[in-house]
Amino acid sequence: MTTTDLTTERPLDRTERMLRQFDVEQFYYDEAALLDAHRYEEWIDLFSDDTHYFVPIRRTRSKRELDKEFTQPGEMAFLDENKTLLAGRALKLATGRSWAEDPPSRTRHIITNIRVTDDDGTELTVESNFLLYRTRLKSEESTWVGSRRDVLRRLGDSFLIAKRTVFLEQTVILSRNLSNFF
Amino acid sequence: MSRSGEMIEQYVSIERGEVGREIFSDDDIFEQEMERIFGRAWLFLCHETQIPESGDFFESVMGRDNVLVVRQKDGSIKALLNTCTHRGNAVCRAEEGNAKSFMCTYHGWTFTIDGRLLGVPGAKTFYDDSLDKASLGLREVAQLAVYKGFVFATHDATAPPLEEYLGATGRLGIDLLAMRGNIAVIPGIQKFVIDCNWKFAVDNLLDWYHPQVTHASAFAPGVMPSRGHLREALDAIDMEGITTEGGDDLDLTVGGIVGTKFDQMVVLGEYGHVIGGPSTASRGNSEFPDPTWRERPEVIEALGPVGIQAAGHPNIFPTAWITTTWQLSLRIPRSATTTEIWWFSFYDRDATPEVRQMQVMFANHVFGPAGLLEQEDGENWAQATMQTFGEASRRVPQNLTMGLGRGKVIKEGGLARIETQTNEHGQLWTYHAWSQWMKGLAWDDLKTATEPGDVL
Repeated sequence: MTTTDLTTERPLDRTERMLRQFDVEQFYYDEAALLDAHRYEEWIDLFSDDTHYFVPIRRTRSKRELDKEFTQPGEMAFLDENKTLLAGRALKLATGRSWAEDPPSRTRHIITNIRVTDDDGTELTVESNFLLYRTRLKSEESTWVGSRRDVLRRLGDSFLIAKRTVFLEQTVILSRNLSNFF
Repeated sequence: MSRSGEMIEQYVSIERGEVGREIFSDDDIFEQEMERIFGRAWLFLCHETQIPESGDFFESVMGRDNVLVVRQKDGSIKALLNTCTHRGNAVCRAEEGNAKSFMCTYHGWTFTIDGRLLGVPGAKTFYDDSLDKASLGLREVAQLAVYKGFVFATHDATAPPLEEYLGATGRLGIDLLAMRGNIAVIPGIQKFVIDCNWKFAVDNLLDWYHPQVTHASAFAPGVMPSRGHLREALDAIDMEGITTEGGDDLDLTVGGIVGTKFDQMVVLGEYGHVIGGPSTASRGNSEFPDPTWRERPEVIEALGPVGIQAAGHPNIFPTAWITTTWQLSLRIPRSATTTEIWWFSFYDRDATPEVRQMQVMFANHVFGPAGLLEQEDGENWAQATMQTFGEASRRVPQNLTMGLGRGKVIKEGGLARIETQTNEHGQLWTYHAWSQWMKGLAWDDLKTATEPGDVL
C-alpha cells in the first residue's frame, strides 16, 4: 500500500489516512443513496468520461484452475460499460417504459469493508464489499453480495469513478434480471 | 399422473388458436415433459470450440441429467452422465475446465476422460478383485452427434440421426449462425434463472409483436445502436386506444422496433422446429457485422434459395434459440415454474480485433440478465406463469389467433414456409408440436404428426 504524500515524500500519517477514509466512505454512501433513490442521471455523473464498469461472469472452477474463475475484459460479462453505454442505461430507465423498473424495484445498497489498497496521489484503488437487497411487486426478492474494486480519481474534495470491477458471489444469477447497478 | 393423448389434445387447438394455461404450472405435465420431450429429443449441449483440447470439459444439461461433455485424446467428443456408478455422487463439480481424470470425492472411484473406471480404492483389499470394472464406467448418453460444430445428444437410442431430426428447417436454423464465418464461442456463458415456465421463454422468441411495447425503452434514442431505417414502420401500426395507466398515449416514436409489421417468413419444420421473423427483404442490409455474408458462394449453397431469405429466429425444438446476434440461448426447464437461461455467444475468429470487440460489446448488451432487451422479458413470463396459479385465471385460454387460418403454407426446396406479416404462426406450431410429443408417439408417427399442412 502506497500512502505517501507525493509533495513531501513522507508517508501519510494516521490523521491523514483517517480523513482520506472519511472522504471515500462519504463518497460511497452518497453514491448508494443516489442508486436507492433511482437518481441514475446523477449517478452517471460520478463516473469519469474514460470509465470502465465491468461485472464479469464467475464460474465454478476447481481450485487448481481458480485463476480462470472470472471472465476478463474482451470476454463475455454481465455488464461491460463505458460512460456512453452507462448513460444509455440511465436514458432507458428514464423513458417511463422500462417495465422491469416500473413499478420500480425497492433496493438498499449496503457498502462496507472499505479499504484503500493503493494511492498514488491522483488515483486510489479501493476495495469494498456490498450487499444489494431488492424486492419487487408482491413477492420477488433478490439479494446480491459481492465486492468491488474501484479506481477513484481525485477531483477536489471528492472523486470520480475511473474504473469499477464488480465481483459477484453468484455464478448463475438467481434472479430474473439485473436491472439495478452495484 | 400422466395425461392421456386425448387430454393433451384438449390443451392445444390449432383450429381455434388457443392453448390451455394448465400446461404452464402443472407439476404432472412437467414430469411428462421430462420423460416424453427431454428424455427423447436431441438437445444442444455446447459448441465444440468450448472444449478444444484433450480433457477440456463443459457441464451441460439434458432434462434433469447433468452431462459432462469431454474432448477426447483422439479429438472426438463424449458426453458422460455426471454421476458415479458406485453411489451416485457427481464426479465433477466444476462448470468447465480441463481434467486428466474424474475422481469421485465420495470414495475415490476414478474414471478416465472417456469414462472408463480406472481405479477403485481397495479393489483388492475390500473387493477381493471381484469388481467388474469394465461394466462400471460412467454412463454415456445414448447418442451424440455434431452438426457444424454444434454438439447435440439424446437419451433415446432409437431417435433418428441428428441431421434427420433437425431436418431442412433445423439445419437451416443452425446454418444461419454456423455459415456466418469461422465462429467460436466467446469465453463466459451467461446463466440466470427466471421464475417462469420454459414454454413462455421459448414461444417468445417467435413473437415479433412484443418488441415495440415490451422493449420500448431499449429502442429509445441513445440506448441502443441506431435503428433509424426501421423507424418508418412504426407509423404503419394502428395504436388507437393504446394508453398507459397514466392515460398517456404509448408513443412509439420514442423508439424503433425490430420486425413488427415487416414482411415475415415463418418456416415450419417437422418435430416442431421453427424459424420465425422478418425476411431479408424487410430486414434490409443491416446484418452485423458483415451485411454481405449471404453473398458468399458457400452460404448461397448451404442456405438454398428459400433459406437465404430467412432473417428471423430459429428454434431447434425444444429449447435451442439461435439469434440474429450471433448467439444461442438455451431455455432449460428446472421445474414447472423455474427456467434457467444460458447464453452462448459467438464471434468470428477470422475477423479483425476491432470487429471481434464490437461483437463482444453487442453480445453483452442485447440479451442476458442485464441485456437491454431481456431485462423486460422475464417480467412478462414470470407474471404470465404466476397468473396460471389462479383457479379462474387458469381457465382463460392463451390467445394465439394473429393470422390464424390465413397462413398459406408454401412447400418448396424441402422447406414449408408462410409469407405474411407479424403473426402467431410460429408459436402455435411450437405448441402443436409440443402436444404431439406429449402423446409419446413413435418416432415415425411423431414426424407425420408434425408435418405442416396446407394452411395454419
